[in-house]
Amino acid sequence: MNNKFLFFILLLSMPLMVCAVDVAEDPKEREILEISKKLRCTVCQNQPISESRSKLAGDMRDVVAEQLARGKSEQQILQYFVERYGDYVLIKPPSSGNGLLVWAFPPLLLITALIFAVTVMRRRATSTPANKSAVELSEEDRERIQRARKEDKE
Amino acid sequence: MKLWWGIIPAMIVLFGLLGYGLTSNPKHIPSPLIGKTFPQLVGKDLTGKDITLGNTKGRPTIVNVWASWCVSCRAEHRVLVRGAKAYGSKVDLIGINYKDELPDAQRWLSNFGDPYLWSYQDLSGRAGIELGVYGVPETFFIDAQGMIVKKIAGPLTDETLREGVELITRSDVAAAKE
Repeated sequence: MNNKFLFFILLLSMPLMVCAVDVAEDPKEREILEISKKLRCTVCQNQPISESRSKLAGDMRDVVAEQLARGKSEQQILQYFVERYGDYVLIKPPSSGNGLLVWAFPPLLLITALIFAVTVMRRRATSTPANKSAVELSEEDRERIQRARKEDKE
Repeated sequence: MKLWWGIIPAMIVLFGLLGYGLTSNPKHIPSPLIGKTFPQLVGKDLTGKDITLGNTKGRPTIVNVWASWCVSCRAEHRVLVRGAKAYGSKVDLIGINYKDELPDAQRWLSNFGDPYLWSYQDLSGRAGIELGVYGVPETFFIDAQGMIVKKIAGPLTDETLREGVELITRSDVAAAKE
């Protein structure tokens, strides 16, 4: 009975063995992965080469590994791919040239929208109909109001 | 209100950009290699002879990336065989056999005809990466000075091949006059 229980516990812990393999990783692998995350798989739609199983992505990862082994920096490796595939190969567009447009557009749009909203609201606040044609109360009206208030108190 | 009239042109521009983005082909990647010199790549042809790809100075050249496993290359192959006959006197047609098996590639050429002067053996696909190739077929049009003038991704048609040939032979004439 006790043996069976032990066996059951062991069986349950088996999936954990999968994690144990991942712990012992090569720091070079990590570096390759970091660079691969920044490069777009050119035959896929919006997927970095680190995630793609396409042949081309595999080859590109091999090139990254080879160049790292030859002592190239991350910047040099990314540059190598940009020279061949264009800025498109970078997952994050560069913050210069045409890429700057991509980065600057959303904040610019937000600022323009805010300026527009503030201007519209200000205009509305300064040109309310109440200001232009406030109804003048006559003496008679005031008396009626006072009478009504007194009645209310009683 | 006057302010609203400023919004309308802005909206038109925005929708214009959106329309452009939605109708353009996301698979088309402009090559940064256009206007650059074709890189020199040392390797072997399909018979095992040492050759240098990109050693094209003096003659307009078409470099076509192909593979026996590539379905659309089959359709393109007929165009290339016709093109090699028609333009062979003016331009060189060179192949890059991309990520293929040597026997398959040789069988392909003996079955369907060999329009290429020779084909560069790129079994690993490294030459492909060197040239920014992302799919097969792809074709580079190179002028007599060795500059890449045009690149077409996807299969050639008789029409696009003729246009490409005109482009590289024309710039050849222009350069000779200088």
